[in-house]
Amino acid sequence: MKRINILLIIIITVSSVFLTTNCSGFLDRESESLFSDEQVFADQNMITSVLANYYGRIDWGQSLERGGDFVILDEACISSGGPDNRQDFGNDLWRVYDYTLIRNLNQFLKGIKSEAAAGLDPAYRDQIEGEARFIRAWTYFNMCRCMGGMPIVGDEVFSYSAGMDITALQFPRSTEAELYDYVIGECTDVANMLPSEPTKNAARANKWAALTLKARSALYAASIARYNYLTPDVKTEGGEVGIPANLAAGYYETAYNTCKEIIDGGKYRLYTDNPDKGANFYEAVCNKSSYEVIWARDYYYPGNTTGFTNNAIATSVRGDIDANIFTPTLNIVEAFEYKTNRDGALLTRTADNSDYIYYDKPEDIFADKDARLYGTVVYPGSDFNGIPMIYQSGQKYLADGEWKERTGDILKGSAVDDDGDLVTADNGPTKSSDQYINNSGFNIRKFVDYNRDASTRGRGSEMWFVRMRYAETLMIAAEAALELGKPQQEVCGYINQIRDRAGIQHLNAVTLDDIVRERRVEFAYENHRWWDLRRLRIAHNLWDGDSETYDATHYALFPFRIKDPSHPQNGKWVFDKLRSTWTSTYPRKFEYRNYYNFIDQGWIDKNPKLVRNPYQ
Amino acid sequence: MKTLLKTCLTAVLIVAATSCGKDNYDRPESHFSGKVVYNGQAIGVRGSNGAVRLQFWQDGYELSTAINVYVTQDGSYSSILFDGVYKLVAVNGTGPWVSAQDTVIVTVNGNTQKDYEVTPYYTLSNIDYSITGNILNASFDITGVTADRAIEYVALMVNKTQFVDFGDGTHVNWVRVPDVTPGRVTLQLDVANDIAEQKALYARVGLKIVGIGEGIYDTGVYKIK
Repeated sequence: MKRINILLIIIITVSSVFLTTNCSGFLDRESESLFSDEQVFADQNMITSVLANYYGRIDWGQSLERGGDFVILDEACISSGGPDNRQDFGNDLWRVYDYTLIRNLNQFLKGIKSEAAAGLDPAYRDQIEGEARFIRAWTYFNMCRCMGGMPIVGDEVFSYSAGMDITALQFPRSTEAELYDYVIGECTDVANMLPSEPTKNAARANKWAALTLKARSALYAASIARYNYLTPDVKTEGGEVGIPANLAAGYYETAYNTCKEIIDGGKYRLYTDNPDKGANFYEAVCNKSSYEVIWARDYYYPGNTTGFTNNAIATSVRGDIDANIFTPTLNIVEAFEYKTNRDGALLTRTADNSDYIYYDKPEDIFADKDARLYGTVVYPGSDFNGIPMIYQSGQKYLADGEWKERTGDILKGSAVDDDGDLVTADNGPTKSSDQYINNSGFNIRKFVDYNRDASTRGRGSEMWFVRMRYAETLMIAAEAALELGKPQQEVCGYINQIRDRAGIQHLNAVTLDDIVRERRVEFAYENHRWWDLRRLRIAHNLWDGDSETYDATHYALFPFRIKDPSHPQNGKWVFDKLRSTWTSTYPRKFEYRNYYNFIDQGWIDKNPKLVRNPYQ
Repeated sequence: MKTLLKTCLTAVLIVAATSCGKDNYDRPESHFSGKVVYNGQAIGVRGSNGAVRLQFWQDGYELSTAINVYVTQDGSYSSILFDGVYKLVAVNGTGPWVSAQDTVIVTVNGNTQKDYEVTPYYTLSNIDYSITGNILNASFDITGVTADRAIEYVALMVNKTQFVDFGDGTHVNWVRVPDVTPGRVTLQLDVANDIAEQKALYARVGLKIVGIGEGIYDTGVYKIK
């Protein structure tokens, strides 16, 4: 027994000696998979890779990565499968709270000023510092438009060690105005550090991206200051939410002057290379050689692609099984004006509503529409990269004085009748809840890749997502000029450049409502709508949760062909506008609480200095 | 082999059927209830879609998460809680009353009842419903409590369930009258189609205030059929 004890003691002693020492410094080796700061910041290629990582972490809100998010508002609806049963907007919808990224950016900024980076060319150092600070400003801007003022942590890289007082790491929220001021100030600084030439595929930020962010931030702050009286309860006592009205003019001034600077800079202008105005608009936004785009999220194949094209493509031109996951609503189509008629409502019935209007060809109902409609939406009778697009829900015939419908089952392929005439087209639309079937009568064109391979599952598309383009500069200039009381001639001058390019009539007088309408169609599917309606405090009126309100409810357009040899209009096309409960069951209801996201309880637990947002 | 299997199964059964006790709490058993009141009168609210709520907070824990207590149509709420001291607060803007977020300390010990005092912008009283033929009549008194918010509209609604309010899907028919001033109001609604189509039909009146998402309603419903 004793011998065993002694043996045990010996074993324990020997093994603990081995455990606490080691032979060849095995545990003290340099890591072979991690780079040290000294290695990273001495090498331009390494620095670029680190920066690329940050550029890849800032796709917030609606984007090509999450195309399904476009159905949440009024621009698109779910087609494939069952309906969207959303009844309200989430308290954390599109919420951004990324202090991890901000800390990483601060580490980077510290790194490029450290000893290791001493050998860098000063001009290059300025540029990458500018880019990192731009991304940081963009991050704060995104947080601010979600939640209002949030803690501004400056340049310091905070770290925690056991036993330290954590209250020093807990920052209170800034006011909403302070955070916009911070973003504006940062943009002003970095605009002078960044190169002024356009970058490849607009993927990296340059001076003009910084100035666009500055103008946009100033415009957001200005419109909140001017219009938050419309929602008097949407504010906090400390100003974390809500901006005093007397600051509005100053912000509009900043936005206006910044836009002037971009316009006078002359590096960007509206894209007008293609004489076909519809195709031109598609190219202006979707062609990577477009000289209008200031900053975009670029993708490339192989390696960095999105499934947006795969999801949005129409059945007849798809490359794979997926199609029609989300499709445009009739609402967005009708938002596009006619060339000489500002009311864009499609004319489907006679003025006294007694009969259909009969069209020879389906595209005739869209004749003389704003050319941007073509560039944004694939509609019945238009084409997709030269391929004619047929949308036909069914045939109509008169029986006992009433119109009846004949529809086919397109799951079994194109449905034709005994005479060989098309009954229901591959592209639908139908009310079915089957997968990949069009339910609204349109498909998205903007950001959809014409390359058929791009719509396959495995490959994906390298289409970019435009974050900033020159048209926005003009729209911000127009809005700021309007709010500052500049002459209407000047205000109209900005907006008419855009309308000219779209081939629609000029305006002689512009109101804020006109600006909202113009932005809606110009920037459809570009992640502007939600933020515009929030900053102007009009969302709760527009999306009032009432199924009788057109704007709050999704509609679809169902084209039918008359097949009734006894009827004089045999062979012509008629259209039904339908409230599409099969895509979106409930109307959109924007509540006051949706003007700002909620502050998560988990963040408050970690930082009790964060005050709650209204309605929370 | 069979014996071994049986032994194993019995062992597993014993382990599964007994438990350590340490990590198991008793379930909460104290029933807490109350009403949202003004001068002792309950206030009717929207009872569907979790629209109106109060929150319970409890101090003394590192991580805090509110317990939501939803207010139902007649202004009452209830919850099953552990015994203890709680703070009961309103959530700004979710109810048709002046935002105050007064904290009410509630000591829950067994079954507890505690009302929550609020200041509504208006009150509805002396509500009478009657039906003559296919016309539903409702008349009621509107009394202004605070003067700072106008009435957006008053409405008489019918629905096929007992949940009747302004929400989409919680009324099958309604009449809305804007620009109303305090005093006696009479509303009429033709419910011929609804009586014909629905198996059951309930009516309720409500008042929407400018700038407030939720309305003030009758605390009860009127059963038509």
